[in-house]
Amino acid sequence: MATISLQRLSKHFGTFSALHELDLQVRDQEFMALLGPSGCGKSTTMNLVAGGIDASAGKILFDGRDVTDVAMGRRGVGFVFQNYAIFTHMSVRDNLSFGLRMRRLHRTEVDRRVSAMADLLQLGPLLDQRASGLSVNILQRIAIGRSAIVEPAIFLLDEPLSNVDAAFRAIMRTELKSLQRQFKQTMIYVTHDQLEAMTMADRIAVMDGGVLQQVGTPLEVYNEPRNVFVAGFIGSPGMNLLEGRLYEEGGAIGVDLGVIGRQRLTEGKQAAAARRAGLADVLLGFRPEDITVDAGNPGALKMAVSFVERIGHRVVVHLDAGAQQVKMVARNGFAATLGAALPLHPQADRMRLFDKASGLAIGVE
Amino acid sequence: MSVEAVKAPIAPVVVQAGDAEIRRLGLRLTLPAQLLLAFIVLFPLVMELYISFTDWTPLVGKNWVWAYRYWNDFDNYVEVLTNARLWGSIVRTFVVMIVCVPTELLLGLGIALLFTGDFFGKRFFYSILLMPMMVVPAVAGYMFFMLFQSGGPVNAILSALTGSQVAIAWLSHANLALAAVMIADIWQWTPLMFLILLAGLLGVPEDQLQMATLLGAGRWARLRHIVLPRISRILVIAVAIRTIEIFKIFDTLYIMTSGGPGDSTETISVYIYKVTMQDLEWSYVATIALFILVVLSAVAIPAIKRFGAAR
Repeated sequence: MATISLQRLSKHFGTFSALHELDLQVRDQEFMALLGPSGCGKSTTMNLVAGGIDASAGKILFDGRDVTDVAMGRRGVGFVFQNYAIFTHMSVRDNLSFGLRMRRLHRTEVDRRVSAMADLLQLGPLLDQRASGLSVNILQRIAIGRSAIVEPAIFLLDEPLSNVDAAFRAIMRTELKSLQRQFKQTMIYVTHDQLEAMTMADRIAVMDGGVLQQVGTPLEVYNEPRNVFVAGFIGSPGMNLLEGRLYEEGGAIGVDLGVIGRQRLTEGKQAAAARRAGLADVLLGFRPEDITVDAGNPGALKMAVSFVERIGHRVVVHLDAGAQQVKMVARNGFAATLGAALPLHPQADRMRLFDKASGLAIGVE
Repeated sequence: MSVEAVKAPIAPVVVQAGDAEIRRLGLRLTLPAQLLLAFIVLFPLVMELYISFTDWTPLVGKNWVWAYRYWNDFDNYVEVLTNARLWGSIVRTFVVMIVCVPTELLLGLGIALLFTGDFFGKRFFYSILLMPMMVVPAVAGYMFFMLFQSGGPVNAILSALTGSQVAIAWLSHANLALAAVMIADIWQWTPLMFLILLAGLLGVPEDQLQMATLLGAGRWARLRHIVLPRISRILVIAVAIRTIEIFKIFDTLYIMTSGGPGDSTETISVYIYKVTMQDLEWSYVATIALFILVVLSAVAIPAIKRFGAAR
């Protein structure tokens, strides 16, 4: 049983603000991913939780208990570093048993738990080998086992998959998730790879520039981005954002996109909120996957093909008109001629509106 | 002295077993150096061996080549094995070694550990700490000679601390003189230990220390399980350097006490120096040198082999 509560947590390095008033609640046994580009403050957050660095302001609570001033060694969190920090001068067995030996457990208990952990992680045959010169995926399993063996209620992983090759990464994603279920731990997982966050996390905290942008389930962040940053960051490629002005015509609301055309919006929460706020300048957002090309249907957005990226199972078509760009994901066989104008229809219920001035989503709480 | 000579027989061993052709090429390439080495090492060695079986001294007025005329079989060897003053100097050298090397190691390690953290005036203290090492040993010897005079600063400080007049004749007291010499050595060479060990400590990965802390290791556990195993090789090198150096201790000591009072601070080097320069018993000195060479080789060769194999 372990919940983590971060309250107005801040960290400055000199005049640089690495983390600004972060409020985040992690539930018991939850897999929480901290996602964001380099320098967004996710590793800083992780180190604050582990106790490797001291907070400039704010509080950290484990199960409601204030641990802000508790030393790193006493917080009892498991931590897997990005480079694993394996004790290369020891055997695999000594690496695994290190935490247990530090807690002065009885030899027989240490041996029992080491062999159980070795079985789980398939490290059995390697136990008495020196931990130097082993391959990355074995080092990673040692790192996970070494932290997991002391059964910490809270487990932190700092980009543990960034050093492994793509094929093994896919295996480890499922493996990590099932390990977490077995250990029944509360996990915070730092990554810049949205695929890892999307596939493994119960909830994702998207961060940028030391500020929390949105917390939600993978689908929530994907479907209902709270602001322009989350919209552009999640998804590959990210959400298309087109500048335009709101207009109302015969009771229906729409966005005037200039040379591209006019896009009518279906009535709903967004339209209502936009109307209420009386906004004019907005950004129209829609996912590259949610576009159909249909010449027969009137009211299409017209944009010209500028570049075609073929990535095997799909085609990413880059289009532009004036200063605005759009990316569209189409099926493999999609035929696109450079320079040709395409009639685009974003899927009606998948369109999102953002306030151009504040960057916040309209009609999303 | 003889200590360097130990390296010579080891040198060819470095050539790894391989193709006969490669070995021949290697031999040809290193031949000039080997010849030079043979001349430097072998010639004096043979000369020493020859003289050691005679009673020759430069006082007889003949060149050493004619030393066979003073042939005395194993007399010099018997003398080496039974001379109390020689054995006293050997024991004394080892006493200095056993006291100074661990003291310098522990002090050096302790200070180096302090320097891995941050504190006010770190750079200043760093320079101050390295100063003793830069002082010419003869000058350091003179410095401590002055410090330990009966009217000198050491006694003045002790007087101030105890409140009564202290006038210990440090350098004329049999045991205190040796202690004074050891204090001088520790003062001068702890910085070297510190410097070598600090270099080693800075090479210990920070993330491993952090990991150990996360896994519940305290300060001592980190030192024992992470730091010491990681710097063990450097530790061995540092201890080896100081052990060899102390075996040859001479300059500081000679200026402070000249081996006195009596022979109470006489180490091997000082003893050999005296026998060579004052008594002029060169054939006896040659025997001592050979004896030390054999004993040191017996210790050093297995050690070097094992150390080489450990890589």
